[in-house]
This record gives sequence, C-alpha cells and structure tokens, in this order.
Amino acid sequence: MIEEPYRWVEAIANRREYIEAQLASGSPIAALGYRDGILFLTLGQTRQKIFEIYDRIAMGAIGHPGDIERLRMGAIELASTEGFTRSATDVSLRRLVHYSLSPVMKSAFEQVYGPPYLARMLFAEVGEQPEGDLFLRVEYDGEIATSGATFAQARQDFAVLSGTRQSRELMESFLKTEHGADASLEAALKSALDAWSIGHMSLKTTDAKELPERAAVSKYLQEQLAHTGIEAGILERNKSRAIRYRSLSDKELRPLISD
Amino acid sequence: MEPSLVAFDQNFSGAADDFPALLRRKGLLAPAAIVNSQGGTPRQKSWQPTEATTILAFKFSGGVLVAGDRRATAGNTVVYDRADKVLEIDRHSIMAIAGVPATAWEMARVLEHSFQYFRRTQLQEMSVDGKVRALSKLLRDNFGFVMQGVGVVVPIFATYDSHPKPEARLYFYDAMGAQFEATDYAATGSGSPAVRGILYYENNWGAKPLQKLSEDEAVSIALRALDTAAESDTSTGGVDRGGKIYPLIKIVSRAGITTLPEGKIAAVFKETVA
Repeated sequence: MIEEPYRWVEAIANRREYIEAQLASGSPIAALGYRDGILFLTLGQTRQKIFEIYDRIAMGAIGHPGDIERLRMGAIELASTEGFTRSATDVSLRRLVHYSLSPVMKSAFEQVYGPPYLARMLFAEVGEQPEGDLFLRVEYDGEIATSGATFAQARQDFAVLSGTRQSRELMESFLKTEHGADASLEAALKSALDAWSIGHMSLKTTDAKELPERAAVSKYLQEQLAHTGIEAGILERNKSRAIRYRSLSDKELRPLISD
Repeated sequence: MEPSLVAFDQNFSGAADDFPALLRRKGLLAPAAIVNSQGGTPRQKSWQPTEATTILAFKFSGGVLVAGDRRATAGNTVVYDRADKVLEIDRHSIMAIAGVPATAWEMARVLEHSFQYFRRTQLQEMSVDGKVRALSKLLRDNFGFVMQGVGVVVPIFATYDSHPKPEARLYFYDAMGAQFEATDYAATGSGSPAVRGILYYENNWGAKPLQKLSEDEAVSIALRALDTAAESDTSTGGVDRGGKIYPLIKIVSRAGITTLPEGKIAAVFKETVA
C-alpha cells in the first residue's frame, strides 16, 4: 500500500505530525555568539541537553534521549576520527552536518518502515572572530537551517531551538533586536535567559504571535529560576587553548544574573 | 570499497568502545601486532633496546618536573637536535618518550584523543587509573612490533590527580606495558642509568630530598642530571652550549601544565650548571 506515491506522502505527513507533537514540549535552547565566544543556555529540568562534540563544536538537542544519544555519539565519532587522522583544524561543523548527519536523518525519516530520529539539534562552531562563528540547526528530517548570510536573510549571531516553530520565531525576533555579537558574557547571559523565557512561555499558549511584555517575561523568568537549574556551556574564542568547550555550573552563573 | 571517513555508522553501539577500538573498526589504526611463535617470519631472538635518549621526571615541591633532552638519533647519526620528547596529553597529563619516535608520537596522539573521546562520550573525565591503564594497553598492543625489532617505546607518564586527594602521580613503564608507580623519581632511555644514580643520591644524601626542592633547585638538578647523562651517552643531547639548545622541561601541578621558557632554563643553567 505504502508503495503507492500518494500513500507514501500521506505516511510521511503523518510521521511529521507525530514527531512535531512529540517535540512540542521541548524546552528551548539558545546559542548566542558574544565577544569572547558562544554561549549555550537552557533551563534544565532533568537530563543534560548541552554537549561538547569536539574542540570547537558544541551541540544542544531536544527529543528522545535514545535518539539524541545515538546522534551525539555518531557526531563525536566522526569528529574524533577526522581530528585524529588529519588534524583538529580539519574538523568542520559544516561538513559534519551537511555530509554526515543530514543525509542519515533524512533517509531515516523517509524510510517509513524504519524508525526516524526523534530529535532536533542545534550546533555551533566557534570562529577566530565573531564573524567566523557558525550556527546550524538540524531537524529530524535532515533539514538544515543556518545563521549565515544568505540571499534571504542577513547574518545572525545567534541561533535557537524550541519545541514549536512559533516559539522559535518569537525567540528569534527578540534576539534580533536585543542581542549583538559584541555583547559581554553577562549581557549574552541575560539575553539568553529572556529569550528562553519567551520561548518557554509561548509553548504554553497556542496563539502567541506577539512578544510578551517585558515585565511579564522577567516575572516568568524569576518564577522559573526559583525551582529550575540553569544549564549552560561556552565555546571560548581564546586561541591559547585547543579545547574551547567548558560547561558552566548553575552556581557559577547565579551571581552573574543577580541584580 | 574503502570506508569513507565521513560515513555515519548507523549501527552505532559504541558506548563501550574505547578510541583505539573505534580507530581499528574504521581501519585507521594498525591491528595489535601478534607475535608469531610458530616460526613463519623470522623474528629477532633478542631485541636491542634502542630507546636512545634520556628522559627524567621527579616530584618536587611544585608538582612533577619532566625533562627530556632534544637529540634524535638513528644509529650513530644525529638526525635532529630539537626533538620534542615531552608531550602534553591533556591539561594535567604528560607523556615523555624514549624509543622509536614514529611509534611513540602515534601513541601519544592516540592517547590524547582517547582521553578526549572518553570525556565527550561518557560525559565524565577519565580517572587517573584509567589513563595509566590506557597507555599500558597501547604498549601491550605494540609488543609484537617490539619483538620484531621495531617500534620499542618506553614512556614515563606524569599527571595530577584531584581524586581522592590532590597529588602529583608519576608512572614509568616497560616495553611490554607493565606500569610502575614511582614514589619520587623515574628515568628512561639509554642515558637513564646515570640519571638514576644522580637522583637516588640527591634524594638520599643531597641538600634536601627531591620532594622539598624549589622550582629553581629542581630545574638545576634536572639540567645537571641530563648533562651528566650526555657525558657518557652519545644518544643524549644534554645541553648544547654552542648551539644554545636546552632540554625541554615541563611541570605538572594542580593548575595544569607549564612549559618552562627557554630564557628561564638558560638563566638557571648559567648560574648553577655551566
């Protein structure tokens, strides 16, 4: 039955609907390029969502833990073997995502008898200059969105990931006006927390088209911070070290946001 | 068909894989050499230790000091006089090598990636015991080559352990992969007998035990020891006074690894050795 083209399209559409529903409650993740690196941030409930992939590459993901784990391991394997046989500078996020992850996710998604990857991922690679930072979002169907300048859009110094498209777009429109690549870590941290709150608030309503009031955002953020931990990591621009990733603990971050 | 480097392994099940196993699975690392005991290829009956160099390491008040001369030789020929035999593996670990450079540097590279790979995949730092064992296993895997007369490596491994209590740890190995923890000092390479004599003497009857030495005193003893080794061992460079080539000295401490700048080594040398 499914061999008929129409059935296949229908099966794919059902599958897309199913996956979107599964991902819809995923807590947002923001990645912001700032003066000294890239900050990844989310407010964590239970499991870890931000991971180191290689010297200059980190990843944030929402979805099924088993699928995230397989993709994460795959990405680390590829980056590590590439870095070992050639050199660390030859490991590139663009190649990792375009030539390895995306095709695999696409074919898993479209082979309707096999399981798709239930995951949405956000990758970033820190550059020598803020203009060299690269952000890539990879969807469960292998679709790639980039922060780089294209014909359709100007370059963005951030990328976000959320459970729904509406939530993501609100976060993006907030960061577009609030965040710049020359921000300090403290400023980036505040923007990221606000963006997370906006994204998380909109997951709870179906018709949030406009950005919420600023007071409402900070009230919501304070409520959330009272009972959830901050999960964050940075990719440092500091050239003196090969390994740029460092996770930031909740304890380290709290003093930076208390004012 | 040659496996593609960028091919994504969909049957991934490798949480238990260590990095060398992953490399072997992908055909990127030579399989562990098997010693053929049924005749076949003729093998050397007794291998000559060819670890022509001098490496020393000892604990002092500021951590562990690891020093190595800079000479690389092939038989009687000096091939290179600026070889780097004291290698940083991660932020707190140093592997210093005596032996065949090609094998030793490859081992260092595998080891470096193994530790990173473990941390990234398992989301926790490898324990010091795990790291020490990882090097032991690489040596063991290499032993077949050693028996065939190629690729002998005899390293020293120095690291700083923060668990259970913060302390510097120092290990030396034999070519088969046995590991020994050194309480005070270790030396390897063809010039090591002289160095061991000096370190033993200093530790027992010197001005103070090695572990009490200040950084400058430690550097001074390291330079004197290497210079003594070079006096009788042609494969050890010691200090090249004419060419102003000094040994490479690194220190592992709680804060990480410091490579002593040449200027500092030169100053200590001028004051206490030359």
